[in-house]
Amino acid sequence: MKKNVVKSHLIILTGFISVFFVSMLFINNQYYQLMMTLVLIWSVMGISWNIICGYTGLASFGHAAFFGIGAYTVALGLLNWGITPWVGIILGSMIGSIMAFLIGWPTFRLKGQYFSLAMLAYPLAILHVFEWLRYQEVALPMIRDNPSAYMQFEDNRVYTAIGLVFFAIAMIVAIKIETSRFGLSLQAIKQNEIAARTAGVNVLYWKLKAISISGALAGMIGGFYATIILIVTPQSAFGMMTSAQALIVTLFGGIGAAWGPVIGSAILIPLSETLHAEFGEYLPGISGIVFGLAIIIIILVAPEGIYWKVYDYFHKKSKFDKPLRNGSEEFTPTYINQKIDEFGTSPIILNVKNLTKRFGGISAVQGLSFSIPKGTIVGVIGPNGAGKTTLFNLFNMIYKPDLGSIKFDGQELVGMPTHNITRLGIGRTFQVVRVFNRMTAVKNVVVGAFCVTDDDVQAEKMARDAIELVGLKHLSDEVVSTFSSLELRLLEIARAIASKPKLILLDETLAGLGLNETEQVLQVIAKLRDNGITIVIIEHTMKAMMRLVDRFIVLDHGVVLLEGRPDEVINDPRMIEAYLGQKWSMSRAQN
Amino acid sequence: MLKIKNLHVNYNGLSALSGVNLDVEHSQFISVVGPNGAGKTTLFKAISGTVDVAEGSIKFKGEDLIKVKPTDRPHLGIAHVPEGRQVFSDLTVRENLEMGAITKAGRMNWKENLLFINTIFPILEQRSKQLAGTLSGGQQQMLAISRAIASSPDLILFDEPSMGLAPSVADQIFEQIVSMHKIKRLTVLLVEQRAIEAFENCDAGYVLETGRVAMHGLRDELLANDRIRNAYFGF
Amino acid sequence: MELSIEAQVLLETIVQALVNGISVGCLYGLMCLGLGLIFGIMRVINFAQGDFMMLGMYAAFYAFGGFSLSKILGQSIGPIVAALVAGPVIYTFGILMHRILISRVSGLSAATMENDGHNAQLILTLGIGLVLQNTGHIIFGSSPVSIRSPLSTTAWEIVIIRDQVSVIVNQARLISGLIAVAIAAVLSWFIFHSIIGKSARAAANNITASIYMGIDVDRCHRIFFGLGAGVTAIAGGLLALYYPFQPYVGMEFIIVMYTGVVLGGLGSIAGAFWGGLIIGIIQQMSTLILPNQLQNTATFFVFLLIIFFRPNGIFGKTTERA
Repeated sequence: MKKNVVKSHLIILTGFISVFFVSMLFINNQYYQLMMTLVLIWSVMGISWNIICGYTGLASFGHAAFFGIGAYTVALGLLNWGITPWVGIILGSMIGSIMAFLIGWPTFRLKGQYFSLAMLAYPLAILHVFEWLRYQEVALPMIRDNPSAYMQFEDNRVYTAIGLVFFAIAMIVAIKIETSRFGLSLQAIKQNEIAARTAGVNVLYWKLKAISISGALAGMIGGFYATIILIVTPQSAFGMMTSAQALIVTLFGGIGAAWGPVIGSAILIPLSETLHAEFGEYLPGISGIVFGLAIIIIILVAPEGIYWKVYDYFHKKSKFDKPLRNGSEEFTPTYINQKIDEFGTSPIILNVKNLTKRFGGISAVQGLSFSIPKGTIVGVIGPNGAGKTTLFNLFNMIYKPDLGSIKFDGQELVGMPTHNITRLGIGRTFQVVRVFNRMTAVKNVVVGAFCVTDDDVQAEKMARDAIELVGLKHLSDEVVSTFSSLELRLLEIARAIASKPKLILLDETLAGLGLNETEQVLQVIAKLRDNGITIVIIEHTMKAMMRLVDRFIVLDHGVVLLEGRPDEVINDPRMIEAYLGQKWSMSRAQN
Repeated sequence: MLKIKNLHVNYNGLSALSGVNLDVEHSQFISVVGPNGAGKTTLFKAISGTVDVAEGSIKFKGEDLIKVKPTDRPHLGIAHVPEGRQVFSDLTVRENLEMGAITKAGRMNWKENLLFINTIFPILEQRSKQLAGTLSGGQQQMLAISRAIASSPDLILFDEPSMGLAPSVADQIFEQIVSMHKIKRLTVLLVEQRAIEAFENCDAGYVLETGRVAMHGLRDELLANDRIRNAYFGF
Repeated sequence: MELSIEAQVLLETIVQALVNGISVGCLYGLMCLGLGLIFGIMRVINFAQGDFMMLGMYAAFYAFGGFSLSKILGQSIGPIVAALVAGPVIYTFGILMHRILISRVSGLSAATMENDGHNAQLILTLGIGLVLQNTGHIIFGSSPVSIRSPLSTTAWEIVIIRDQVSVIVNQARLISGLIAVAIAAVLSWFIFHSIIGKSARAAANNITASIYMGIDVDRCHRIFFGLGAGVTAIAGGLLALYYPFQPYVGMEFIIVMYTGVVLGGLGSIAGAFWGGLIIGIIQQMSTLILPNQLQNTATFFVFLLIIFFRPNGIFGKTTERA
């Protein structure tokens, strides 16, 4: 299936390039020839920006740094050392890539707005350094002897043709990324970085890979740009407008889509250039205004760009948006728990000792110690604020404990990166489910399998198995925007079990479900257990839990209040007191 | 004073409240009890307007609340003491109270209300210039309640005032709520997990379970009934 | 105390840089205060802040020249009043901007957007900035202008050590700095003691509780966006006394503003002023060791240092919620 998607992209690409090439041959006006080349250049810059920002969701204004370095590499290379741009561009690309990697490594540690601000600073800082180095205007020298060896041509259209080659390279890279696990992993990071980690995605690795490729493309096209404009200044290379323009054409055309940048570029560049040519005399800033207005309109009207607006229009499927109602039909509830009596007989898979985590002086959990045997179902319950979700976050090392140890299958988890824990065999669901709305169920789930296999075919098979296990097989290739809330919940479970984990953490999976839906989910959990997965579940719905779990662990104010069989715990006065209050227990005790 | 009819609220695509009916008459003390996830907080959010109503009506003093902007509702006379206190941690105790008093009635009765607050919670007067974020949990709860009183409301909503507090502190808070109701004849709607504390002093009460009213009745009926335990534990 | 010539020169140079730094720093402080207000109250990253300043500079320029404040109030007081006049003008502009555009991607409506609408705010304000700069280019032309006044060409001599060490302080710079401090003080009083100020701080602290109290959050945001724009505009108007400007001047100061705000601590309004002041001092002091063009690089260096090693700045609170 994937082959078809790639094929259609490539066919459209070939078509586009051919049309572009042919129309180019007919243009005789030098200005318009230049414009066509510029469209291609900004498309490539946009693609470069798209890779790190569009797919990943990181807002960066720093691309001018890589672009500028490419431009200066070619310019200075030719001027000082006689290096032909044919080589200079490749060099520029490499340097751009390395610089991107070096910048990305520390900067990715920063969160949200701080990341954007830092990325903004780099090119501007470099700009000042270049001004100081007296590189105010570096002009590419005219070569009289064998100019084509130095990428100097009489006919502007040759440049356009070369530009097409670079464009093709960039598009192929973008298409490859988008249709591979690379793209899916980046999307997962964009959706929810923490959830992506717990699905096994090595976030830093993918981000660095993305920015390095991004830097390579930007450096490459920056070098080419130098051969077009012939004079490189710090402002044109590293200035804000350079980064802004890449951002604008991509956002306008379609963020996170391979075709977005070229759509935006093909519309905005000719528009602004033509207006500038016609009215530039009395309205000198007209091109800037065009870009500014374009971005304002787009962010308010179609925040993801033209491509997606059109895409959604043609893929409109009405979601049967009836929320789940509480069904009041009677039915005989089945008892799922099997290991109540033999609880202690299986080997321990998860061992928690003296686990403590404080947040600014308040203990969220304190001195927790318990063990969970293989193949059982354990329920973690307790009143609000008892520390249940904190506990799960500790299991995934989303938080690092202040004290204590967590041993999974004998291996110490404390200090391990989250995605490695997933690889070891712990899966996790989250309360708020975020999905790739425009993609199918399989595409949504397959991300979970990437951490345990390098083979894409196998990953897809594992995803399909997971989807079948949760009972959604008939919806495997359906777009998830049409899914009901229950189906989305099951999908979330599927993503968590795609990697065939040994243990799964379910976070309030039954919240708000009606009786029938609850039953459905319980049956799915039973199937998971039958497949050998150990289950730890946080829940409030006591009635359902009574039929599900082999053991309860009751947390209250961050400590283990009690542990035991369901029937014992439920009658334990301490438990009742924790939920219903001291006076309730006392009043009942009196009767 | 407050009439809720057939209220349906959806939250994150789930049915949080399904056909809830609830009445609060003038000067009454009404309690709503139920386990986590029953929809208690959602009910208050619907009254205050921070969550959308799918179906049904909420009428306050005859006025259709759903037509009123959320930030206008407190000015009609509804005060909300939120779950988890939610004091303005960066403002002083005094400034928190001033924020409560931005309603018209609040401004008119400022001196009187302030005197009342300082009488029942003297510690707040002592710490008047302290940042609210540095107060203990119990003190923050007192502040949250006082902030609500400062608006001179007709109806006060208390959302789980005991949550996260040590039992003795929670008892103190409950005592004050009860005495407030008696002295000022305030209409009270209280949501709690702790059943007895909630029902001990009420005129009537409701038990919520998965978004529906599982039972309701007068105080004595509720105190005697074990159906409540069923709502929590399933038997 | 007799100092050697070298010591005199050294001392003079250092003190001169310090005095310059403080007077420029006060102006930067006011500039940053504007941005800090917007970020502190609304958590909006306003890319167009520098362009609001630019508008303020031109407003002051035309008030002084075109509207004859120079004739009415004379060459010395005129410019000051012109700078102050820029405030309300740009305040109104800011209010309009918020009503029409900014409110769609911030505040209550943005609570449901991706990332709380931060990316959308960045991009929207980028667009607004571009439009402002280029429209300015069309309307005002691109040649640099400044407000001509005897203040910018006269200076006072302040004697530190009689006959040995003295520093020269440009009148325009000193007066601008003083007025900037005065305005910052007035504004601070307003923010911390008026009901609107307290309501806005409450809304920034806890939006949910604010709704429950009946605070009109959107109105608070609107007013403070306007104030933020107006304050930076006044700073610009004062700057116009000695700094030649053109429609793209905003870009030159955007990094100064962000560095100041981040240094002071994202979320701390008072911190923004101190951050700006410190940046002014650092910039001027760096001329002692760095060549001219690298002055700005010093600012970037500081900026990156803070972001990496102390992102909360001096007074900041953690604005990222778990």
